[in-house]
Amino acid sequence: MTAQTRDELIEQLKQGVVEFDEDSVVEAAESVVESEYDAYDAVMHGLAEGMNMVGELFTNGTYFVPEVLMSADALYAGLDILRPHVALDESRQIKGSVVIGTVEGDVHDIGKNLVKMMFEIAGFTVYDLGKDVPLDKFVEEQLRTDSEIVCLSAMMTTTMVGMPIVIQKIREKNPNVRIMIGGAPVSADIADKWGADGFAENAPNALEEALRMVGTLKDLQA
Amino acid sequence: MTSDGNSRQVVLDLLNHKTVDRIPCFSGIGNVTTSGLDQYGYRFPEIHVDAEKMANSALATFEQFGFESVVVPFDMGVEAEALGCTVKYYDDGSHRVLYPTISGKLSDKVSDINLNVPADFSQAGRLPLVMEAIRKAKAKAGDRAAIGSWVLGPFTLAGQLTDLNDLLKNSFKKPEMVNNLLAQLADVLVQIINLYKEAGADFITVREMGATSDVVSPRMFESLVLPHLRRVFAAVPSPTVLHICGDTNKIVEMMAQSGADALSVDQKNDLAASRAKLPEALLFGNIDPYNLLVQGTPETVEAGIHTIIDNGPSAVWPGCDIWPEVPPENMKALMATMEKYGAEAKG
Repeated sequence: MTAQTRDELIEQLKQGVVEFDEDSVVEAAESVVESEYDAYDAVMHGLAEGMNMVGELFTNGTYFVPEVLMSADALYAGLDILRPHVALDESRQIKGSVVIGTVEGDVHDIGKNLVKMMFEIAGFTVYDLGKDVPLDKFVEEQLRTDSEIVCLSAMMTTTMVGMPIVIQKIREKNPNVRIMIGGAPVSADIADKWGADGFAENAPNALEEALRMVGTLKDLQA
Repeated sequence: MTSDGNSRQVVLDLLNHKTVDRIPCFSGIGNVTTSGLDQYGYRFPEIHVDAEKMANSALATFEQFGFESVVVPFDMGVEAEALGCTVKYYDDGSHRVLYPTISGKLSDKVSDINLNVPADFSQAGRLPLVMEAIRKAKAKAGDRAAIGSWVLGPFTLAGQLTDLNDLLKNSFKKPEMVNNLLAQLADVLVQIINLYKEAGADFITVREMGATSDVVSPRMFESLVLPHLRRVFAAVPSPTVLHICGDTNKIVEMMAQSGADALSVDQKNDLAASRAKLPEALLFGNIDPYNLLVQGTPETVEAGIHTIIDNGPSAVWPGCDIWPEVPPENMKALMATMEKYGAEAKG
């Protein structure tokens, strides 16, 4: 049996994530490692790309949360195998650090966990504070880790109102931190009104936003 | 409105499918305001754990603004707590507004849930407290206002008892297992609802927001959620309301098959379209509680409420909990707008 090509394995990884077929993803990931193909390439163009497609299926109302969760499980199964083999070289430098959590009073963390996953895939260092996080903790953790980005998540209207308070407290301590907010009740308008730097409409979008924000920070420092 | 003193009559007549001469504005979901709490000198954390404070806080929204219902409780932890979960009350002595949450679930997995149904629910968790609050509310205002209470729906309650990720994945992978749990929870909720009715609640709302189309597919709603809602509504006295917030456009017709007397939807629902689909239904909604009532001005509130009235609801309801720190002038504008246009719409 001829070994699969890089392209075939990338496709298998991608489809495996979209079809939440953990076994297929694991098989493909192991083959990537065995064939000594580029693991980072497999992560980004296979797994992450698959998740992007899942994001679109969610946005267009084909997939719902259970499907997205199962796709994420499949992705993680592959990531666990591939990540140790991702070569560390200049182009894969740590993109930056992110503090992430669900605000106090809110115990929903599905969206937050998907955003965290996208950051991890892309090479960010993620400090996950979990859910129901006291507002001051976000500030403390950002100072402790000197993270470039702080991500706040809330799933309910009654808890998102803690976000402007966190934003204000962080700005007082460190005006250069980029703050991104997201969650069902949040909108681009609200993010703007509260002085956030970015708004995450969904997980893949959160990663795009984060890369853009880090880019602006690097320009500041240049 | 309190101005013409017939609020209770209008609301109850409406809920009982009788003809009314105006559209009322009320809610079946807990709605407290800090304005009301200030009147009594209460802090937010206190009102969930004391029957008198709970009743008075609920009453204040009716008394201060003429909002046409008195509803208890306010937080979503009551049923889960009665089944053994721990609740966090966020009481640090301050006045901050944080709704109680479940801090200790029954298990991390649906498969591990050991449902310990109390022999006597009327003694479990805060049920005695909520029942007492209902009795007090009825005694204080039962001649003037409709007294409401509410529970979570079976699916949403399941999400309180175990890890939500696990529940959602198993809803897809092992629906029979989830079905078994939901059937048991439906029976639990029937018991609780009957206790609230005994205590004097005029109407009951079931909140099943865990099953909105933002989370599960309409197909899953039909196969996994609807049967258990039907079970609940078939076993409790009228009048009842089924409330689901989030995107309900694809499931509103199925909601109408649940057996609830009325449906409540939020701002994501296209109310005019839903009205067209369900011309005879009691359809309540759909104020955006944050963007309109909190962020709005009296002018934008009037315009927004007028639009809602034009979309044809049977009653104007907030889409979900009213944010407690709602500006009093916006609450006043809400009720003034209802007074202005509510009778016209019926005429």
